[in-house]
Amino acid sequence: MKKLTPAFANKKMDGLEQGMIPNPEKKSWSRLLKGNSDLPMEILILFLLVQFICCLSSIIFPANFRYLSESNISVLLKAIPVLGIISLGIGLLMIAGEFDLSVGANYTFTGIVIATLVESGLSAFLAAPLGLALGVLIGLLNGFLTLRFRIPSFIATLATMLFWQGMTLLYHGATSIRFYPGDIFTNLMAGQIGLMETSFLWFVALSLVFWAVLHRHKFGNHILAVGGNKQAATAIGINPTRVKLAAFGLAGFCAALAGILAASRVGTIQPGQGAGIELRAIAACVVGGVALTGGRGTILGVFLGAGLIYTIEDILLLLRAPGFYLDIFIGILIAGAAIFNQLVRERMVR
Amino acid sequence: MDARPDTNITPVSAAAPGSGGVGPLLELKGINKSYGPVQALTNLDFHINPNEIIALLGDNGAGKSTLIKLISGLVQPDSGTIMVNGKPTRLNSRRDSEQLGVETIYQDSALVDSMSITRNIFMGRELTNSLGFMQHRKMRQIASEVLQGVVNIRGIDSPDVLVGGLSGGQKQAVAIARAVYFNRKILLLDEPTSALSVRATEALLEYIKKLKEDGVSSVLVTHNLYHAYLVCDRFIVMSHGQKVCDVSRQETTIEELTRYVILE
Repeated sequence: MKKLTPAFANKKMDGLEQGMIPNPEKKSWSRLLKGNSDLPMEILILFLLVQFICCLSSIIFPANFRYLSESNISVLLKAIPVLGIISLGIGLLMIAGEFDLSVGANYTFTGIVIATLVESGLSAFLAAPLGLALGVLIGLLNGFLTLRFRIPSFIATLATMLFWQGMTLLYHGATSIRFYPGDIFTNLMAGQIGLMETSFLWFVALSLVFWAVLHRHKFGNHILAVGGNKQAATAIGINPTRVKLAAFGLAGFCAALAGILAASRVGTIQPGQGAGIELRAIAACVVGGVALTGGRGTILGVFLGAGLIYTIEDILLLLRAPGFYLDIFIGILIAGAAIFNQLVRERMVR
Repeated sequence: MDARPDTNITPVSAAAPGSGGVGPLLELKGINKSYGPVQALTNLDFHINPNEIIALLGDNGAGKSTLIKLISGLVQPDSGTIMVNGKPTRLNSRRDSEQLGVETIYQDSALVDSMSITRNIFMGRELTNSLGFMQHRKMRQIASEVLQGVVNIRGIDSPDVLVGGLSGGQKQAVAIARAVYFNRKILLLDEPTSALSVRATEALLEYIKKLKEDGVSSVLVTHNLYHAYLVCDRFIVMSHGQKVCDVSRQETTIEELTRYVILE
């Protein structure tokens, strides 16, 4: 560390004594809404509003809208983590200014590799870390292709998405594979503690870790800087390649972890199960306020974005709406969120 | 950020050992630089004294930007020496010039619009604990003080404001405040006023003057002679990669400088 000895130390002290400095802890609502980049107020309000309406409806119409029933809460808590964990990785990568379309393929491929390792007699507690490492490697490969050859990550990961989808079929064929990791492992990954699902606890724990990294660690500051203005970050001495490569690796890690959770829950892995999940993860991030251009976004936003997508899916299921309604609503939600975020940003920058 | 034991670069200082205490902070001798067939700088001598504001004048293509890039460590000379505190030094990268205490302020300053002032000031040089977690409260307190401190940026009430919401002048003030906080001794300002309003320009020139009192030297690259004449102690006019005039404020008039810039 360079020693920090400002040339104007004396003036500073004068200022302090005269009380010129505004109280650093002072916060106002307008500032929270306008200037605070760490708290996604809009999505938080929307999320709470939707939850409030759902709970209220469930109390008023307990027979027709069973939102607060035990089985429904259990379904929600089981469904959210897989998409949510993939979204955390994608979100961090998007904030750093890159995409990864191959997370769905990564999620399936690493899941199947782990399942075959377990089938051949390896303990799941060894196979899972190997699978996570494989996921990280797949992510790093995406980063290498994108950064070394300076091609858009959208294209690079479109290529690797198809590559790993093909590799999945080459490695195992088009049939599904069973995943019996043993009771301890299953309970750890997809068990219940009362009403709570362990997979949801994993999602919450990982969200907290990602929150600490993005909003409290210097690496997170570098991610925001590189995604927000790569030239400025470079000029100040941050290495954008290293920051982005790490974000690619983390996205791969999240995809593999989601694969393990999904496989533990269902007990089988379908070679086609990951198709489309990368786009839903990007959708969750956009709904959560992550900018497609990078530099903006919060972990809480991504967390709520994934939760909101599944809440809407759940509402439509409870109302027995046909499946295509889901796509219609999610489409409207994505467009609305993107438009809203754009308007807020334009107002913020005047 | 981290100390680099592998280089022999020491920060510039007014009382450099061996320089007798009043030598230049930075001295360039016999610098040549060409880009392919284009000779950008020819046998150029240039020095920056302590507590001095230098105006670097000249038409487009005179070599001003090349000179700035050279001192920033972004380009290297074909021949000639760069002396720091009386010692020959090589500046191979932006890191090296940063080590030296040089900061370049561009018209489009190196700030990230989507981040707060605090995060911008500490970008890449975050104050952290041993695990790398940022000491937010401390950084925020310092940013708050910096805003009220030497540059006293007008119209900013909180270090949490996003930089994207600031005006051009305020942004440059933040960039300068950052440089000053990290103990930079030489500011290179490359056309800083070209996108600023009259009032913002006046404020910026005031900052530079005030910083001189605190021992920060500046090199102001500009097209605007009147701005330069307001604050600068020494005027260097360049033309076709050569220095055609190097006079102190006492020795010249604005008319004479105008003639140099226009005729050369």
